[in-house]
Amino acid sequence: MIEFSNWDLLRNLLLAARWTVLLSLTAFIGGGLVGLLLTAMRLTRRRALHWFVRLYVEVFQGTPLLMQLFLVFFGLSLMGFDISAWAAAAIALTLFTSAFLTEIWRGCIDTLPKGQWEASRCLGLSFTQTLKNIILPQAIRVALAPTVGFSVQVIKGTALASIIGFVELTKAGTMLNNATFEPFKIFAMVALIYFLLCYPLSLVSQRLEKKFNGAR
Amino acid sequence: MALVNIDKVHKYYGDLHVLKGVDLKIQAGEVVSIIGRSGSGKSTLLRCMNGLEAYQEGAIILDNKEVSSDERQVRALARSVGMVFQSFNLFPHLTVGENVMLAPKLVLKQSAEDARKMALDKLTKVGLAEKFDQYPDKLSGGQQQRVAIARALAMSPKVLLCDEITSALDPELVGEVLKVLEELAAEGMTLVLVTHEMNFARDVGDRVVFMHQGKVWETGPSAEVFANPSTPELRSFINAVL
Repeated sequence: MIEFSNWDLLRNLLLAARWTVLLSLTAFIGGGLVGLLLTAMRLTRRRALHWFVRLYVEVFQGTPLLMQLFLVFFGLSLMGFDISAWAAAAIALTLFTSAFLTEIWRGCIDTLPKGQWEASRCLGLSFTQTLKNIILPQAIRVALAPTVGFSVQVIKGTALASIIGFVELTKAGTMLNNATFEPFKIFAMVALIYFLLCYPLSLVSQRLEKKFNGAR
Repeated sequence: MALVNIDKVHKYYGDLHVLKGVDLKIQAGEVVSIIGRSGSGKSTLLRCMNGLEAYQEGAIILDNKEVSSDERQVRALARSVGMVFQSFNLFPHLTVGENVMLAPKLVLKQSAEDARKMALDKLTKVGLAEKFDQYPDKLSGGQQQRVAIARALAMSPKVLLCDEITSALDPELVGEVLKVLEELAAEGMTLVLVTHEMNFARDVGDRVVFMHQGKVWETGPSAEVFANPSTPELRSFINAVL
């Protein structure tokens, strides 16, 4: 049997953690962009678009992320697309993230008083002018804390990509454990790395919440 | 033709028949107070006059333009009608000056310099020029409402709609807002007020419109209507509030 020093283990886990970070960033940025699009669709007056967004959000919030991963990974290969575990994980996590961010942002926009829309309308501002000058500047302040807070869920969610064979932090931990049979040590290290990734984000989120809560 | 022509307007909220054939003409320069019990449809009528609420039957012609709640119509109308709300609805992330300058810049395409001049002028009129760079949350309720009036005036409207604009204010702050309205009335501004300030309606308003059960129940010159109400409903209303 090959001997691994603690440093070997940690080094390999950290190398794999790069993929966790990359997958999280991809999902978060992709999900943010799709979420923005969905949020904009929801703000228009088109009923059909509202229904589409609602269905989208319900589907991705109402099913386990793992099933979404399976469906993308196996579903797309069944349809004849040759899809890597990385691509499947990135797509599934993007869809998942966009649904949650859309719902979070909807809540933030809904907390703004209806009078802000009415006053803008009475002053003759167009829909886009109202959105850009009145609604978004206020909604962003409210949305910042929960959005950063949700990024923690995305990072933890990437662990599920290990199940379809994508080698990120959790998968690397499993593989190292298979070689060393030291599960407690290895998964403690894995957990610690997740914690070090997530904790600063939680802190930032709490700070933002304090800063913007109640302030204008 | 009158500045505002309201002709047999009906408004429903689902099954609820809120306005039941309202007829009302308002001439330029008139100060009209709409009074009535809550639920009589007075705020709804006001909100129909600038397209914030849609009506289902009849017609409202304002400044020779038909009012509808169609988005483009409402925007076109914003040049003729100003609105002041009970809850001020200032933009909290913008300074007082920015609140007033926003629409002239974006909608009337005024230059920054012109918009600034206009804003200072209107803020001076409501006595708040020195608050130009403050944020609204640093102002008292009365001051915020005066800023809201200045913001509406900056669009040079032909008629100013005021929806219970003193109802959210502490009693000691009501006077400063009414004083601004009184000055506007003296300058010949057309004012339509939904109000609970009966003394103001009687002393400053030219005409009172009493709404009851979704209709204009009684209307006439303020002094006359208050001294000599002709319907029992108005009589009991006046007795209750005065």
